[in-house]
Amino acid sequence: MEKAPAKKAVKTDLKSKIISGYIEHVLENGKEPVSVFKFAKDLKMKEEEFYNYFTSFEAIKSAVWAQLFENTIVNIESQEVFKEYSAREKLLGFLFTWVEELKKNRSYLLSIYKDQKSMDKFLPMEVKVFKSKFKDFANEIILEGKETEEIANRPVISDRYDDALWFQVWFVFQFWLKDASPAFEKTDAAIEKSVNLAFDLMGKSALDTFIDFAKFLYQNK
Amino acid sequence: MESKVKEQQNIPTSKVQRAAKFLTTGAKVGGNYVKHYAKKVVNPSHTKEELHNNNATDIYNSLSELKGSALKVAQMMSMDKNILPRAYQDKFTMAQYSAPPLSFPLVIKTFQKYFGKNPDQMFDTFTKSAINAASIGQVHQATKDGKTYAVKIQYPGVADSVSSDLKLVRPFALRLLNMNVKELDHYMDEVEEKLLEETDYVLEVDRSREISEACAHIKDLVFPKYYSDLSSERIITMDWLNGLHIKEWLESNPTQEQKNRIGQALWDFYHHQVHNLMQVHADPHPGNFIIQPDGTLGIIDFGCVKVIPEDFYHGYFSLIKRDLLMNEEELNEIFYNLEFISEKDNDEEKLYFKSVFKEMISLLGKPFHVDTFDFSDDTYFEKIFQLGDRISNEKMFRKSRQARGSRHGLYINRTYFGVYNLLNQLQATVVTTKPDWLK
Repeated sequence: MEKAPAKKAVKTDLKSKIISGYIEHVLENGKEPVSVFKFAKDLKMKEEEFYNYFTSFEAIKSAVWAQLFENTIVNIESQEVFKEYSAREKLLGFLFTWVEELKKNRSYLLSIYKDQKSMDKFLPMEVKVFKSKFKDFANEIILEGKETEEIANRPVISDRYDDALWFQVWFVFQFWLKDASPAFEKTDAAIEKSVNLAFDLMGKSALDTFIDFAKFLYQNK
Repeated sequence: MESKVKEQQNIPTSKVQRAAKFLTTGAKVGGNYVKHYAKKVVNPSHTKEELHNNNATDIYNSLSELKGSALKVAQMMSMDKNILPRAYQDKFTMAQYSAPPLSFPLVIKTFQKYFGKNPDQMFDTFTKSAINAASIGQVHQATKDGKTYAVKIQYPGVADSVSSDLKLVRPFALRLLNMNVKELDHYMDEVEEKLLEETDYVLEVDRSREISEACAHIKDLVFPKYYSDLSSERIITMDWLNGLHIKEWLESNPTQEQKNRIGQALWDFYHHQVHNLMQVHADPHPGNFIIQPDGTLGIIDFGCVKVIPEDFYHGYFSLIKRDLLMNEEELNEIFYNLEFISEKDNDEEKLYFKSVFKEMISLLGKPFHVDTFDFSDDTYFEKIFQLGDRISNEKMFRKSRQARGSRHGLYINRTYFGVYNLLNQLQATVVTTKPDWLK
């Protein structure tokens, strides 16, 4: 019993050691290590020890993404005002904080994703964990938005809102990768504008009133 | 790796999006013309007034959504009232007051970026939503230790988008202002330079201090204090000025004396800047003036300051003298220097443009020809509008192959039109002081 916490600490240490070792390798060589064997040797650990934490390089990349997400959440939840935010502002807050996290790892992310083509069609495998985590977060926001009527409840479509928001996050990421403006100001503008558009589309609009009216006419003709 | 990123100079996505925005406006404006002519077929008495109205609404809507420098151009156009049809004027004047706001998370992000702190860590209170929209940012109210501050925050990316926005505005400006391409580019350079300066908040704080100190002695003027430690490239903190904008103030039915007092303060402010400081607050739109409860005039926003070059100053103002006692040769020289006419003109053109500019200048110089001038005289302004209309429709003017008038004139004219318009709104009679050499 007594030993358990200590052992756990060692475990997380090794895990983050592998992650940071991997990032460092990518940064210095511009590509993945040739093999797990070589990589483990550089870190002065045995190959089988490596497999205790990760089964492949993909899994490490995945862990980097998960870390980006967790750091963002910890950061925004520590901000007092976050609780008072509307759904729209929560998403904005998330994205603004998230790009700050991305910035800390820009070189790493650039060397891996800059040359990847058609990222908007095929999501890289390792991003999937991040995606599902984000969708959970997005669904909370959407639920809250529906309660406050910031977001209109529409049959069929409103079940796909989380996908729409994910699409937006991915758009922001790609925009940020290409952004060359000082302090990534353009990305800030892109976030602000795209989130406003998304929420204006999800909010109650003239179209809803129109459909309601059309339904009424149809039923009463 | 980093250098490779920098090679990609502009961001296609945003530019395409912006272009798309303008395209839809273009399509709408086109549609309005179609509607106009369709209605005209049915009803020949249908006037162009409605068409201008529709166009103005559509253009304004798209400009205000674009924010930033496009909004600025809308403001500029609304200042030069004399060149625009009435419907555009009213709509564009709205641009001076309202625009879509920055979200609070973005405000926090901006604070984090420049101070590493949230606004509520720096102030006791900080309004979550903007109190006022400034042309390239917005203003929040904050308090600290019992003092009230105005905090102006700039939209991200405005500085970067100035040039590309102006390129997008060009085709509209060409149509609206009835200018030819050369003429427009001649001025666009000047506008671009000024707009870029306006995005530099550090420069703005310096200039605000400099000019407000130099004008501190003028009666009935109030300037806010600026706080460098609470300001940065994208944020300006200054004292909050209590009071009303001119329009609201006029609704409170001030007496003629009160109006004259404000008008006189305004005139003295510009007199001192133009003739003594040789640099001028070149953005006299109503939103930048706040009339205090004690009847004094508060002046804010030194984002746009025009430094007046010495030779331009002498040429320009010597034309304003009532009796042009100079001979033809001297006059020609000034006209050449101010770029009203050039070697490329033939004799007929020279004669025509000289007479047009003389007429224009003598009209605009009218307040300088007397000791006191009554700016409530609407017929005077009507004359300016008419002259502007007439000239812009004249063939000689429209087919002119070159830009007329020095680029420095753009902001000086704009400033004087702006001041005249404000004085007209105030219905004020002022003592029109002038420097000794002009008397």
